[in-house]
Amino acid sequence: MIKALKSMYNLNYPKALVYMLQASEYKIRPYIAWLHRTKDFQKVMHRRQLDFTRAARLLLWALRLGILLQLIGGILLIYFGIWHRLAGGVPFGVAAIISYPFTWAYLLVVPLLIGRALVEIPAEAQAGHQSQTAFASHPGKKIAVAGSYGKTTMKELLQTVLSQGLTVAATPANRNVVRSHAQFARRLSGNEDILIIEYGEGAPGDVARFARLTQPTHAVITGLAPAHLDRYKTLAAAGKDIFALANYLKGKNVFVHKDENVEPFLEKDYELFDVHGVLGWRVSDVKVSLEGTSFQLSKGAEHLKLNSGLIGAHQVDYLAFVAAFALKLGLSTEQVREGVAKTVPFEHRMQPYKLSGAWIIDDTYNGNLEGIRAGTRLLKTLPARRRKLYVTPGLVDQGEETAKVHHTIGALIKEADPDVVVLMKNSVAQYIQEGLQGYKGELIIEPDPLEFYTNLSQFVAEGDLVMMQNDWPDNYA
Amino acid sequence: MVRMESIAVIFGGRSAEHDVSVVTALASVIKPLELTKKYRVEAVYIAKDGAWYWDDKLKDIKLFTSGEIQNYLHRTQPSSVQFDGGMTLVKASGIAGRKQHRKIDLVFPAMHGTYGEDGALMGLLDMAGVPYVGCGVSAAAICMNKVLAKRVALGSGIPISKYVSFAKTDLERNASGLLKLLDKELRFPVFVKPAHLGSSIGISRATNETELRNALEVAAHYDDEVLVEEEVPNLIEVTLPVIGNEQPQAALLERPMTKAEDFFDFETKYLQGGKKGKGKGGGSKGAQGYSQIPADLPKGLYSQAEKLGLKVYQVMGCSGIARIDMLIDEKAGSVYFNEVNPLPGGLYAHNWNKAGMSNVELVQRLVGFAKERHAARQSLTTTFGTNYLQQF
Repeated sequence: MIKALKSMYNLNYPKALVYMLQASEYKIRPYIAWLHRTKDFQKVMHRRQLDFTRAARLLLWALRLGILLQLIGGILLIYFGIWHRLAGGVPFGVAAIISYPFTWAYLLVVPLLIGRALVEIPAEAQAGHQSQTAFASHPGKKIAVAGSYGKTTMKELLQTVLSQGLTVAATPANRNVVRSHAQFARRLSGNEDILIIEYGEGAPGDVARFARLTQPTHAVITGLAPAHLDRYKTLAAAGKDIFALANYLKGKNVFVHKDENVEPFLEKDYELFDVHGVLGWRVSDVKVSLEGTSFQLSKGAEHLKLNSGLIGAHQVDYLAFVAAFALKLGLSTEQVREGVAKTVPFEHRMQPYKLSGAWIIDDTYNGNLEGIRAGTRLLKTLPARRRKLYVTPGLVDQGEETAKVHHTIGALIKEADPDVVVLMKNSVAQYIQEGLQGYKGELIIEPDPLEFYTNLSQFVAEGDLVMMQNDWPDNYA
Repeated sequence: MVRMESIAVIFGGRSAEHDVSVVTALASVIKPLELTKKYRVEAVYIAKDGAWYWDDKLKDIKLFTSGEIQNYLHRTQPSSVQFDGGMTLVKASGIAGRKQHRKIDLVFPAMHGTYGEDGALMGLLDMAGVPYVGCGVSAAAICMNKVLAKRVALGSGIPISKYVSFAKTDLERNASGLLKLLDKELRFPVFVKPAHLGSSIGISRATNETELRNALEVAAHYDDEVLVEEEVPNLIEVTLPVIGNEQPQAALLERPMTKAEDFFDFETKYLQGGKKGKGKGGGSKGAQGYSQIPADLPKGLYSQAEKLGLKVYQVMGCSGIARIDMLIDEKAGSVYFNEVNPLPGGLYAHNWNKAGMSNVELVQRLVGFAKERHAARQSLTTTFGTNYLQQF
């Protein structure tokens, strides 16, 4: 308590506040939530430092100026209270001096509210209008990719494989909201055969709005899992929003990855895909190693052997779909084979690398339950000459489902049966531990995740296999 | 609340290998010990002038790499050590002249070369009755004297290459006589080594008399005892890291990827990242540059070298950790003992990693061996009751 109060009067306090706002992507609700649970403001800038962008600089100067004025005001009140007998001068002055960290922590969001009302909302409306016009006039096929997980992976796979025979453009990285769609639309030449647009759902109504603005001709729904439940509240609400994309297309050209959560939303017109097959193709002979994944697609007498650099049996669902979809769009089997062979692990997504002789599977960008399921299954499948280690901080934004989701994670880890489990000391570690009940291996609760990740090479040796899933930035730690 | 054990990591020192010691301590000992979260780790640095410093700031490698250490030493009071039925570090706390004390439960010497690896520090710690990691006084003293180690090996029937040793004063008094003796006893090429230094400092290879004269001068510059030994023909150099007390455990036989003329000198080992090595595929860039781990040798020869290494470890009385260097005549299939390094640079953690032991596990094992040996020694009777004083 005393430490927390002391840290609020530190000279770095204004910088810490601006950093918290920046790390929360200038979203007020997560910032306020972070503010309320922070115990030591000197420790909030742990993994990163404030990025001095124009907005951050302006906010910091405004904040410092505001604090300075409040302090001067407080001193003047005390002065007039003592020397000029101003009624209430001293107590109000002292209160003004003492209260500045509390006052300005909240007043800091005022410029944001004003900026949002005057700049951001009109700019977004304009961007939406621009992208609506641009996408409406584009002659190419527009494939929208939505889902709780695997969107960026699906988009990258489609782009890699379809590019073997078609001119393809896709939204960059995981930029998947209205303004990034508009930026993408502005860069199009109009000659593209295929546009791939990723939809980043975050709150109810998002996906329906994206569909109205980008007007897709095809939809790929990658799956449904608990994510962003702080805004959606329930999985059903998230599913309803994601399947708004299928409704937009009235069920035509809708491809859905069949996982256990999508069932309530399925309609007969949808094309389903999973590890068993897709579009009439049957999947068989799946082989997984740290070098990649291979499988065979068969339809009647036709067989297609495919090899990918991606690792994990769960990747076959998406790879098989992309291959079958590419064939449907007219690519030759040779083009599809070459395209699939070019698929390699994406950064921090089931990306294997060697460290001190050990194999590390870096899946730290994975932030959903399905990814955890895939990762724990992969850990169980792959051989290790020495130890298997599983490392995770758990998942964020699980809302009311937090305890349930993390009990499931604990059970999944137990099922994978690693020799060592490393959990990060945070608000969900206890739930994972409860799910791990009966686990016989070594359990480590790491108080400093950054130190652990930085020094991972000191903990592992030849023959170890380490699965690292998800990572929490400062605003969740 | 359980008190964390305090481990003092002592490094630096008055040795030509001072800088190697700093790297060993900071990269391979302090960091993994801290990561165990089981110990309070105290950095104890011995400056080149012999003064001791105890400070958490000394755990930062940048202090040494930036040269800032000199300023630090100028403005900091050296610490002292109290032997009070154990070992306590003492330094000025900076608050009203008060002293800060830290009782040490175990010492992890990370010293290389003279006054650290040669038994001197171990003697001090034995006197203090503090458990410590690594070889004891006698083993360290034997291992760090290459001539003595060869004599002990010879006495135990361990094969060694032909050698001649002499004092620096012999060279100063009668260089020509010595050269004649060497010419009579040994055949070129030969290796000339200071008897006590490690990390290949002061070692030269000589193929003729002129080179030999220079090599003798270099070796005598570093040491008061010099060793000249015949080069083993069809040479393969190998080294075997070993840990343990009564039942030593070997890591993997490692082969530095160098040619005889580019022998593994200090520059190759530590400064060039092994670039002089002409490694082929399968080489591993460890702390000591390119090397092949495990050494690609016929199974029988590998096993022969491994057995010899373990035997040497026991014969020399090593405990905790050591590294045994051996020379192999590939054609003859013969393995010769070369020398023992009682505290290998960087603990040879790269090799242990390959053998399936992480850095954190390695330091924990070493701490365990130190405690085990200390407990065994404590159980010995070292006093004997007599009435001698009463009769005096």
